[in-house]
Amino acid sequence: MSPDESKVVVVPCSGIGKTYGTVSREAAYEVTEDLRPGSTGLVALSLLVLGDADARAAVQAHPAVTIDGCKLACAAKMVQESGGHVAQGIAVLDVYRRNRELKPQGIAELNEGGILLAHAVAQEITAVVDEVLAGEEGPTHA
Amino acid sequence: MPDYLETTVDKFIFKVVTDRLYSPEGVWALADGDRIRVGMTDFLQQLNGDVAFAEVKPAGTTVAAGDEVATIETIKANVEVPSPVGGTVVEVNPAMELSPEAINQDPYGEGWLVVIDAPDWPKDREALLDPQAYFELMKGQAEDEAKKL
Repeated sequence: MSPDESKVVVVPCSGIGKTYGTVSREAAYEVTEDLRPGSTGLVALSLLVLGDADARAAVQAHPAVTIDGCKLACAAKMVQESGGHVAQGIAVLDVYRRNRELKPQGIAELNEGGILLAHAVAQEITAVVDEVLAGEEGPTHA
Repeated sequence: MPDYLETTVDKFIFKVVTDRLYSPEGVWALADGDRIRVGMTDFLQQLNGDVAFAEVKPAGTTVAAGDEVATIETIKANVEVPSPVGGTVVEVNPAMELSPEAINQDPYGEGWLVVIDAPDWPKDREALLDPQAYFELMKGQAEDEAKKL
């Protein structure tokens, strides 16, 4: 499903060349392609940065779940600057702190810990998506 | 925050507070008699990024100057923090257990790591840098890092 038809858009960190950015993108792919393909759509952060009209329209029309790899929280900030609403922001580092055994390493290719951390992040996103769709929006944080 | 020196390198702003001494490795030492509060500088915490976990030597641990007093795991690296003084750890920042991000948020205040009882402080301090000297050293280190970007 393309973002403009989705009920919830997922916006991951663009952190190219950063381990936590890769984890955030892998988690976003897992949610939008495997776990909730019918009710979520992926919006590339880079398109929001460039002011892409379709990307802006998608975040303005649907609640967004953002995934950020560092405290700069670029995904959450760009959704807000694009006129969108962050239903909930998820920080990969917070998920890692709750799952210390899943230490992520690697960039182009994540280690096992990184892959499992991405799964854990994806599960948290899915829970948020389900809450949003059920009208039980969680607190916004990044 | 106490008075500080500040410089901008590339898009990053680094601060050095002027009420304490520094090791060349970027660890500060704030004396209250022979009890020395220890922490990471603003430059060192920015260089290494968001802190995930902080493991600090427990109270009662004896360290020599240069010995590891904490290991900080960040999103970029594992950082071994060398003690700027010798002595015995007498207090550990409880925030390091549950909210080590205090190192990023307030490196010169709430993000302190340990307090060390340092009987040889008058001697140890001779090996440390005053704020202006560390500021100049740090600027050079920051400029070298910026060239890598």
